[in-house]
Amino acid sequence: MKLAVFVSDFKLDVDTLDRLKADKLGIILVQNGVYHATLKENGAASSLLKKSATFYALKDDIETRGLGSAAVDGSVKTVSYGDIVDLIFNDYDKIAWL
Amino acid sequence: MADIKLAFLIQRPPYKSENPKLGLTHAISYQTVEILLEDGETVTPTVCVVGEGVLGCVKDQKAMELYGITSTEMHVKSCLLVDLDVLVCKEDLARFGISEDMMPDAEDMGADKTIQVVPYAEIQKVIENANHVLFF
Repeated sequence: MKLAVFVSDFKLDVDTLDRLKADKLGIILVQNGVYHATLKENGAASSLLKKSATFYALKDDIETRGLGSAAVDGSVKTVSYGDIVDLIFNDYDKIAWL
Repeated sequence: MADIKLAFLIQRPPYKSENPKLGLTHAISYQTVEILLEDGETVTPTVCVVGEGVLGCVKDQKAMELYGITSTEMHVKSCLLVDLDVLVCKEDLARFGISEDMMPDAEDMGADKTIQVVPYAEIQKVIENANHVLFF
Protein backbone atom coordinates (compact mmCIF):
# COMPACT_ATOMS: atom_id res chain seq x y z
CA MET A 1 0.00 0.00 0.00
CA LYS A 2 1.18 3.48 -0.84
CA LEU A 3 -0.06 5.67 1.96
CA ALA A 4 0.16 9.41 2.44
CA VAL A 5 -0.59 10.75 5.90
CA PHE A 6 -1.36 14.38 6.58
CA VAL A 7 -0.10 15.52 9.97
CA SER A 8 -1.66 18.81 11.03
CA ASP A 9 -0.69 19.02 14.72
CA PHE A 10 2.61 19.66 16.40
CA LYS A 11 1.88 17.58 19.47
CA LEU A 12 0.24 14.31 18.47
CA ASP A 13 -2.11 12.92 21.06
CA VAL A 14 -2.78 9.72 19.14
CA ASP A 15 -0.34 6.94 18.25
CA THR A 16 -2.08 5.94 15.04
CA LEU A 17 0.86 7.09 12.97
CA ASP A 18 3.14 4.60 14.75
CA ARG A 19 0.75 1.76 13.93
CA LEU A 20 0.22 2.49 10.27
CA LYS A 21 2.26 0.22 8.00
CA ALA A 22 2.82 0.89 4.33
CA ASP A 23 5.18 -0.20 1.59
CA LYS A 24 5.54 3.44 0.74
CA LEU A 25 4.77 5.99 3.42
CA GLY A 26 4.59 9.71 2.80
CA ILE A 27 4.07 12.16 5.62
CA ILE A 28 2.71 15.51 4.54
CA LEU A 29 3.13 18.18 7.19
CA VAL A 30 0.45 20.86 7.06
CA GLN A 31 -0.97 23.49 9.45
CA ASN A 32 0.76 23.12 12.84
CA GLY A 33 2.34 19.92 11.55
CA VAL A 34 4.94 22.07 9.78
CA TYR A 35 6.56 22.73 13.15
CA HIS A 36 7.87 19.15 12.99
CA ALA A 37 9.92 20.25 10.00
CA THR A 38 11.04 23.61 11.31
CA LEU A 39 11.53 23.46 15.08
CA LYS A 40 14.30 21.90 17.06
CA GLU A 41 12.77 21.63 20.50
CA ASN A 42 15.61 21.81 23.04
CA GLY A 43 17.96 21.52 20.09
CA ALA A 44 16.58 18.22 18.84
CA ALA A 45 14.65 17.65 15.64
CA SER A 46 11.14 16.22 15.94
CA SER A 47 11.09 12.48 16.65
CA LEU A 48 8.54 12.22 13.85
CA LEU A 49 11.34 12.78 11.36
CA LYS A 50 13.00 9.55 12.52
CA LYS A 51 10.25 7.52 10.89
CA SER A 52 10.95 5.65 7.71
CA ALA A 53 8.97 7.86 5.37
CA THR A 54 9.20 10.54 2.75
CA PHE A 55 8.45 13.92 4.31
CA TYR A 56 6.79 16.92 2.74
CA ALA A 57 5.85 20.26 4.31
CA LEU A 58 3.42 22.79 2.90
CA LYS A 59 5.24 26.01 2.02
CA ASP A 60 2.20 28.24 2.62
CA ASP A 61 1.79 26.97 6.17
CA ILE A 62 5.50 27.42 6.90
CA GLU A 63 5.41 31.02 5.70
CA THR A 64 2.12 31.75 7.45
CA ARG A 65 3.94 31.04 10.71
CA GLY A 66 6.77 33.45 9.95
CA LEU A 67 9.20 30.69 9.11
CA GLY A 68 11.15 30.22 5.91
CA SER A 69 12.72 27.49 3.85
CA ALA A 70 15.98 27.94 5.75
CA ALA A 71 14.30 26.62 8.88
CA VAL A 72 13.13 23.41 7.23
CA ASP A 73 14.95 20.19 8.16
CA GLY A 74 17.02 18.72 5.34
CA SER A 75 14.98 15.52 5.34
CA VAL A 76 11.79 17.39 4.43
CA LYS A 77 10.79 18.57 0.97
CA THR A 78 8.90 21.85 0.82
CA VAL A 79 5.83 21.60 -1.41
CA SER A 80 3.03 23.79 -2.73
CA TYR A 81 -0.69 23.01 -2.75
CA GLY A 82 -0.30 22.00 -6.40
CA ASP A 83 2.49 19.59 -5.49
CA ILE A 84 0.27 17.98 -2.87
CA VAL A 85 -2.47 17.45 -5.44
CA ASP A 86 0.09 15.74 -7.67
CA LEU A 87 1.26 13.55 -4.78
CA ILE A 88 -2.30 12.48 -4.03
CA PHE A 89 -3.08 11.61 -7.63
CA ASN A 90 0.24 10.22 -8.78
CA ASP A 91 2.21 8.84 -5.86
CA TYR A 92 -0.11 7.43 -3.19
CA ASP A 93 -3.09 5.05 -3.22
CA LYS A 94 -4.59 6.02 0.09
CA ILE A 95 -4.73 9.20 2.12
CA ALA A 96 -5.15 9.62 5.86
CA TRP A 97 -5.45 12.76 7.96
CA LEU A 98 -4.25 12.77 11.56
CA MET B 1 -10.40 53.10 43.88
CA ALA B 2 -9.94 49.57 42.61
CA ASP B 3 -7.65 48.23 39.94
CA ILE B 4 -8.66 44.84 38.60
CA LYS B 5 -5.67 42.96 37.28
CA LEU B 6 -6.23 40.43 34.52
CA ALA B 7 -3.65 37.92 33.29
CA PHE B 8 -4.22 36.51 29.81
CA LEU B 9 -2.17 33.37 29.31
CA ILE B 10 -1.61 32.48 25.67
CA GLN B 11 -0.42 28.89 25.60
CA ARG B 12 -1.40 27.41 22.22
CA PRO B 13 0.26 27.62 18.78
CA PRO B 14 -0.76 30.64 16.70
CA TYR B 15 -2.85 28.92 14.01
CA LYS B 16 -5.31 26.10 13.41
CA SER B 17 -7.25 27.22 16.45
CA GLU B 18 -8.58 30.75 16.89
CA ASN B 19 -7.92 30.38 20.60
CA PRO B 20 -4.68 32.38 20.95
CA LYS B 21 -5.93 35.22 18.77
CA LEU B 22 -9.15 35.25 20.77
CA GLY B 23 -7.15 35.68 23.97
CA LEU B 24 -5.22 38.57 22.51
CA THR B 25 -8.43 40.16 21.22
CA HIS B 26 -9.99 39.91 24.67
CA ALA B 27 -6.93 41.55 26.19
CA ILE B 28 -7.05 44.36 23.62
CA SER B 29 -10.74 44.94 24.27
CA TYR B 30 -10.15 45.83 27.93
CA GLN B 31 -10.50 49.49 27.03
CA THR B 32 -14.15 49.03 26.08
CA VAL B 33 -14.85 47.63 29.54
CA GLU B 34 -14.06 50.96 31.11
CA ILE B 35 -17.46 52.36 30.16
CA LEU B 36 -18.99 49.80 32.53
CA LEU B 37 -16.80 50.73 35.48
CA GLU B 38 -17.49 53.11 38.32
CA ASP B 39 -15.40 56.24 38.67
CA GLY B 40 -11.94 55.40 39.91
CA GLU B 41 -12.10 51.78 38.87
CA THR B 42 -9.57 50.53 36.37
CA VAL B 43 -8.71 47.30 34.60
CA THR B 44 -5.10 46.36 33.91
CA PRO B 45 -4.58 43.40 31.60
CA THR B 46 -1.24 41.70 31.08
CA VAL B 47 -0.60 39.28 28.23
CA CYS B 48 1.64 36.35 29.15
CA VAL B 49 2.80 34.10 26.34
CA VAL B 50 3.98 30.67 27.40
CA GLY B 51 4.52 27.18 26.01
CA GLU B 52 3.66 26.77 22.34
CA GLY B 53 2.07 30.20 22.49
CA VAL B 54 5.53 31.67 21.94
CA LEU B 55 5.39 30.34 18.38
CA GLY B 56 2.98 33.19 17.68
CA CYS B 57 5.70 35.71 18.55
CA VAL B 58 7.61 35.23 15.30
CA LYS B 59 7.65 38.13 12.83
CA ASP B 60 6.93 38.08 9.09
CA GLN B 61 3.89 35.82 9.41
CA LYS B 62 2.17 35.71 6.01
CA ALA B 63 -1.31 34.70 7.11
CA MET B 64 -2.99 37.63 5.35
CA GLU B 65 -1.12 37.17 2.08
CA LEU B 66 -1.63 33.41 1.92
CA TYR B 67 -4.95 32.78 3.67
CA GLY B 68 -6.58 36.19 3.95
CA ILE B 69 -6.69 36.11 7.73
CA THR B 70 -5.16 38.46 10.25
CA SER B 71 -1.91 37.10 11.55
CA THR B 72 -1.26 36.36 15.19
CA GLU B 73 1.74 38.65 14.79
CA MET B 74 -0.65 41.52 14.02
CA HIS B 75 -2.66 40.73 17.15
CA VAL B 76 0.52 40.84 19.23
CA LYS B 77 1.46 44.17 17.64
CA SER B 78 -2.01 45.53 18.35
CA CYS B 79 -1.54 44.61 22.01
CA LEU B 80 1.65 46.65 22.05
CA LEU B 81 -0.07 49.53 20.27
CA VAL B 82 -2.68 49.82 23.03
CA ASP B 83 0.11 49.78 25.63
CA LEU B 84 -0.45 46.32 27.01
CA ASP B 85 2.40 44.59 28.73
CA VAL B 86 3.24 41.54 26.65
CA LEU B 87 5.47 39.13 28.55
CA VAL B 88 6.97 36.21 26.70
CA CYS B 89 8.53 33.28 28.52
CA LYS B 90 12.28 33.23 28.06
CA GLU B 91 12.63 29.51 28.75
CA ASP B 92 9.99 28.57 26.16
CA LEU B 93 11.60 30.79 23.53
CA ALA B 94 14.90 29.01 24.17
CA ARG B 95 13.15 25.64 24.04
CA PHE B 96 11.89 26.34 20.52
CA GLY B 97 15.01 28.13 19.35
CA ILE B 98 13.31 31.50 18.88
CA SER B 99 15.74 34.38 19.29
CA GLU B 100 14.72 37.92 20.16
CA ASP B 101 15.60 39.16 16.68
CA MET B 102 12.94 36.81 15.28
CA MET B 103 10.24 38.56 17.30
CA PRO B 104 8.07 41.44 16.08
CA ASP B 105 7.79 44.96 17.40
CA ALA B 106 5.10 47.50 16.63
CA GLU B 107 7.35 50.46 16.05
CA ASP B 108 5.97 50.82 12.51
CA MET B 109 2.50 51.27 14.03
CA GLY B 110 3.75 53.90 16.47
CA ALA B 111 3.75 51.74 19.57
CA ASP B 112 5.92 52.67 22.50
CA LYS B 113 5.77 49.25 24.12
CA THR B 114 7.84 46.29 23.06
CA ILE B 115 7.62 42.60 23.86
CA GLN B 116 9.26 41.79 27.18
CA VAL B 117 11.16 38.52 27.35
CA VAL B 118 11.06 37.38 30.96
CA PRO B 119 11.79 34.24 32.96
CA TYR B 120 8.76 32.13 33.80
CA ALA B 121 9.16 33.14 37.45
CA GLU B 122 8.11 36.66 36.49
CA ILE B 123 5.03 35.37 34.68
CA GLN B 124 4.23 33.36 37.79
CA LYS B 125 4.26 36.61 39.80
CA VAL B 126 1.84 38.22 37.35
CA ILE B 127 -0.48 35.23 37.76
CA GLU B 128 -0.27 35.42 41.54
CA ASN B 129 -1.01 39.14 41.57
CA ALA B 130 -3.92 38.93 39.10
CA ASN B 131 -7.52 39.02 40.24
CA HIS B 132 -8.47 36.83 37.30
CA VAL B 133 -6.37 34.50 35.17
CA LEU B 134 -7.69 33.59 31.74
CA PHE B 135 -6.17 30.72 29.75
CA PHE B 136 -6.23 30.63 25.96
